[in-house]
Amino acid sequence: MIRNWIGFYTLSSREIMRFFSVWRQTIIPGIITTLLYIFVFGVALENRISEINGVSYKIYILPGLLMMNVITNATANSASSMLQMKLLQTLPELLITPLSSLELSLSFIIGGTVRGFVNGVLILLICWMAGMPIINLPLTLLFIFLVSWSFSSLGLFVGQLSDSWDQLALIQNFVITPFSFLGGIFYSIKMLPSWAMTLSQVNPIYYAICALRESTLGVSDTSLVVSSIFLIIFTFATTIIAVQLMATGKKIRF
Amino acid sequence: MSKKLAIEITNLTKSYEDVKAVRGIDLKINKGEFYGLLGPNGAGKSTTINSITSLVKPSKGSIKIFDQDIEKNFRFARSKIGIAQQEVSQDWFFPMEKLLYFQAGFYGVKKTKAKDRIDYILNKLGLDEHKNKKMRELSGGMKRRLQIAKALVHDPEIIILDEPTAGVDVELRHDLWVYLQELHKDGKTILLTTHYIDEAELLCERVGIIDNGKLIVEDSVNNLKKLVNKSSIVIHLKDDITSINFLNDFNHHISEKKVYVQTESPNLDLPKIILKFSEASVNIEDVHIPQTSLEDVFLDLTGRKIND
Repeated sequence: MIRNWIGFYTLSSREIMRFFSVWRQTIIPGIITTLLYIFVFGVALENRISEINGVSYKIYILPGLLMMNVITNATANSASSMLQMKLLQTLPELLITPLSSLELSLSFIIGGTVRGFVNGVLILLICWMAGMPIINLPLTLLFIFLVSWSFSSLGLFVGQLSDSWDQLALIQNFVITPFSFLGGIFYSIKMLPSWAMTLSQVNPIYYAICALRESTLGVSDTSLVVSSIFLIIFTFATTIIAVQLMATGKKIRF
Repeated sequence: MSKKLAIEITNLTKSYEDVKAVRGIDLKINKGEFYGLLGPNGAGKSTTINSITSLVKPSKGSIKIFDQDIEKNFRFARSKIGIAQQEVSQDWFFPMEKLLYFQAGFYGVKKTKAKDRIDYILNKLGLDEHKNKKMRELSGGMKRRLQIAKALVHDPEIIILDEPTAGVDVELRHDLWVYLQELHKDGKTILLTTHYIDEAELLCERVGIIDNGKLIVEDSVNNLKKLVNKSSIVIHLKDDITSINFLNDFNHHISEKKVYVQTESPNLDLPKIILKFSEASVNIEDVHIPQTSLEDVFLDLTGRKIND
């Protein structure tokens, strides 16, 4: 249980202030990338690619792009904050304080969640201005929140295990990016060969995108119930592994 | 003052794969005591103190802070301790003052309550002009002061400093010494690790000498010096004499025109000895009483110099 509330609040705010203080690196890039996608697919390629599930291609890809941004930001925040603290010797100053491993891990997770969520909402706004419908706003925000939280937890897990920026980049390049692309950002998985379809069904990013596509566009490859349940379980699972890893002290207490 | 124990370490052992960093250390530090852990680099000083703050997980043994186990009651134990690590941390996102507020917050100190304390420490450590600067703008000495400020921000009862003056300039070193003595007078328990002999001699009431993962001896500085079986008076003779029977009351030997006399109290015995020389009409060229330092103690106990 959380008992050191002031400590918990202080570290959570520190994590949030940290990324806001470098907003040029943490908030602007996602917005620019999304605008570029909207421009390229909307203006240049719109007429050459047919509709998917009755939705224009430009609009179809937007929920996926939004989720990719949320995932990248949420993961990067907790992972890089943890690794940076390790490399710059600030982590020991935190570990000696009366903060429990639960309080420590939740604070890091909250930092990443807020960054994922803020990016998600800003991009949602841009998508909406670009013509994307939002059928169910509360559910949309809930999905952005769950995905931010779960991937922030995953980021913390990875950050605690990493020893260098190289290792973090490996995770980004060899896990997050391929999983995002294979999660159906740019296509419906029904367009894939059956083996790839089966593979997609164990990809959490696939469910994240399906859920959001359903709550905004009202179309998707999987039912809303299935993707919601998957996301909730995934959120709990990632939180538990991150908190557990922190409790073991692996690679942070020697 | 009651002899309450601030820190109690029992059979602390820590192995890293094949290396035994600490091999069964027992250490008791009284409340209000100024204790120094002296030893060469790699002796196990940092491992010992990092075990106290749970940065290091001991392989064996137990540690208590004011009678509370540091694992079972970690919130209590950690809130009593402030530690300045040896490695200077580099949080470059926030200005110095903000970092201190964060550190106080981690310890559960409210912002409003922390303000007076932070203002006081900034002033005390000569940092208030620089409080809005970020890490990159600080000199090495200021970073070190900030490190110490962070350790003190929650007004801990036990202050642990890991090599606080390693690589700092003479002036800062002196300032720190004065400040540490002040904290000690206020009743704080201070545990210091150092490989500087003079630092330990000047500040510490008790010194534990640690080598190769073991506490080889601990006592007051004066008592430790008595351990060294060293000639306490050296008399240089003018002529080459091989035997001086008149000095048989004293434990002595002669070598190359020098007489080495062993005595517990050289200052008291010196006049008597000189008198005996003059009675026997033996000419003396020079007399001196060599000062024993903790360096000699270390050398005597381990056969090595501390900073080799």
